[in-house]
Amino acid sequence: MTNDQHYTAELNLEASLLATGWQTAIQRKPSISLRTTPVEISIPDVVSIRFARQKIDTRSFCFAGNDDNSPPSVVRRMRIPAPPAPSSPTCKEPTDRVTRMRAPQDVIKLKDRLFYALQPPLETLFTSESLAFAFPPFPYQMEGVAFLCPRQAAMLADEMGLGKTMQAITSIRLLVFSGELKNVLLICPKPLVTNWQREFQMWAPELPVATIEGNGRRREWLWNMPDQLVKIANYELVVRDADFLKSSNVQFDLVVLDEAQRIKNRSSATNRAVRGIARQRSWALTGTPIENSSDDLCSIFEFLRPGVLRGDLTPRRLRKATQDYFLRRTKDDVLDELPPKLFRDAQLSLSHAQHESYTLAEEEGVVRLAGLGGEVTVQHVFELILRLKQICNFDPTTEESTKFDRLAADLEEVAASGAKAIVFSQWVRTLRRLKSRLQTYCPLEYHGKIPHRQRDGVLEAFRNDPRHQVMLMTYGAGSVGLNLQFANYVFLFDRWWNPAVEDQAINRAHRIGAAGPVTVTRFLTFGTIEERINEVLEQKRELFDSVLANREAPRTLGLSQDEIFGLFSLTNPASGQHAA
Amino acid sequence: MTSSRSKSLPDIGFMTVVESAEHGFFGGYLVLNQTGRPLEFHCTAPVRPNRAQEILYGPTLKPYLYGEQIGQTLWSQTKNVPRIVCTDMAEILHVRQFIACPVVLLGARGDLPLDTSAATDTSRLDTAHAGTAPPHTDQLRSFRAGDYALAVPEAYPDDEPFVIQQCKLLGASFDLHEPVDRIRHAIQEAQLQ
Repeated sequence: MTNDQHYTAELNLEASLLATGWQTAIQRKPSISLRTTPVEISIPDVVSIRFARQKIDTRSFCFAGNDDNSPPSVVRRMRIPAPPAPSSPTCKEPTDRVTRMRAPQDVIKLKDRLFYALQPPLETLFTSESLAFAFPPFPYQMEGVAFLCPRQAAMLADEMGLGKTMQAITSIRLLVFSGELKNVLLICPKPLVTNWQREFQMWAPELPVATIEGNGRRREWLWNMPDQLVKIANYELVVRDADFLKSSNVQFDLVVLDEAQRIKNRSSATNRAVRGIARQRSWALTGTPIENSSDDLCSIFEFLRPGVLRGDLTPRRLRKATQDYFLRRTKDDVLDELPPKLFRDAQLSLSHAQHESYTLAEEEGVVRLAGLGGEVTVQHVFELILRLKQICNFDPTTEESTKFDRLAADLEEVAASGAKAIVFSQWVRTLRRLKSRLQTYCPLEYHGKIPHRQRDGVLEAFRNDPRHQVMLMTYGAGSVGLNLQFANYVFLFDRWWNPAVEDQAINRAHRIGAAGPVTVTRFLTFGTIEERINEVLEQKRELFDSVLANREAPRTLGLSQDEIFGLFSLTNPASGQHAA
Repeated sequence: MTSSRSKSLPDIGFMTVVESAEHGFFGGYLVLNQTGRPLEFHCTAPVRPNRAQEILYGPTLKPYLYGEQIGQTLWSQTKNVPRIVCTDMAEILHVRQFIACPVVLLGARGDLPLDTSAATDTSRLDTAHAGTAPPHTDQLRSFRAGDYALAVPEAYPDDEPFVIQQCKLLGASFDLHEPVDRIRHAIQEAQLQ
């Protein structure tokens, strides 16, 4: 069956009408009643948040730009032009060393503290100011510069041989270029004046340096020279000119004392004289800030920062009071940064008497050699050289010796640090002279005049007896077969002909197993045969190094016969060539 | 303000923000001369967003705070108008809309090309602030100037050649990353006082 099919069925149902009464009700109109019910709807609260730009407090600090704070014109003129900038900037590696200045504790004003915190790293400053170095500084030396530069009062007390001179000069140089220094006085012992001149030339060639010397009128004129940015004076002259310095208008942005232990006696004329100099900044350099007692340090601080120290302070309080002014590193502290051997060239001027003796001997000697004509032999020249070298050591008449003065100053520092030193000379006579003058250090001798049976005893005494702080040796006796690695300092009082022999001598102290780096001080007098020999040897070494880099120099790198004749502009008759 | 536009070598600005859990956000702005020496330094008092700002600004909070609030305030203090402003934070690029000086983002050292993913982590486009939106990755123009990986807001295409030109004028010793460390040190120093 589908949905479309339909079926029909019939239903048989009866239908009839009944009266129900519903019809009437349907026709009746309905009545409507109205009831009102109020509906209450609450209006929601609205919270409005306006994010207006809030006022933020700021602190602002302006620093003088280069236009206001530039180095003196005399320095600008001598300035080495900056290297051309590369066409594209270079991204620095994070491993590049960064040395930053930090504000000293006595800098209170926030602006002044921020001035230091916001300075570029020293490495950037040196590069951007085109300040080149003779040699790359060690990292600890950069730290020393970062210590000195921001300080009005500072004591750099590094152990001898770590480069206090270089750090002081580099700091001065940096401050000159930032316009913070325009007038600097460096005071040092007399034998070190030429050394400072040379060091300034090496580490800050742009800075004009004058040495205070001559008679009273000349000195007065020199003290007042405005263009000489750095003045070097020895302690004796400062004492002599103390009244003038106090009464005149001469004042300095910085006064540096080298070998500051020279003012360890508070009541001495030297101490009073340096304290009387008008200055802004005061720095002291010394390897031995305390030689006898803490009074030594207090006296130096009377120059640096009067009133900071009292003699009755306990060591702990003393350390605390000085810690922000004081920086000392020993070789052990910076061992990882140091090479095994540190060379220092002590280039000195002859004393007046030495110079006179030397000039006379040389003139007479050269005339004599010339008179020999073709008969002259290398032996004749040797004799003259030896004679001149001996005068460079000691004046034959007065016994004056600038080398000895310098040696004595250095040994004072060596002994104060408890170290030991070996002094080499080619002459027993020179060593004997030294021995008589160095009795404080109980020097021992080791040379050909010491009988063999005594030599072991000498070495034993030097090794084990702390009273013996100095060993005096000839190159011949002390250059081979000895182990003296407990000596940290070697002095070459005069130079040998061949650097290889010097190297052997130095290696007595520097051996595998040595406790630390060995500092080698090579004495050399200006304008003498020593300087000429050294120049020839250095030229040969440089030639060797440039041709055969990374190889050890041969043992035969000494002087040839032609070169020995050439020292006096003479021709070697055997070769017929004129030496340069 | 003193303009330095006449100088042959540019003064250069550096802006960053240091976050301190204790105090809030410190803004720092340093202007250097061509040798890297400081000319001026400005830092803000700490800024701490309230809870409502944190909720309603959402991921746009930092661009708003760093760029609009802190950055704009710091810029208003400047005496030596620099040629460009460098920043190590993408959120600070937001300040570019309020100042007439290119603002450039420094990529991390060795980032070539600039990795701008950090920008997306901290700066998302928010429709409610479309007019002042933080830079999205695709809203940055990344480019190189020498060894540096840099970026400027896409909305300022002329900034790219200008920044490259200014970078060429800087000395080889000028390290664009290093001054930001100075600002951090200086803010620490200021906090100690």
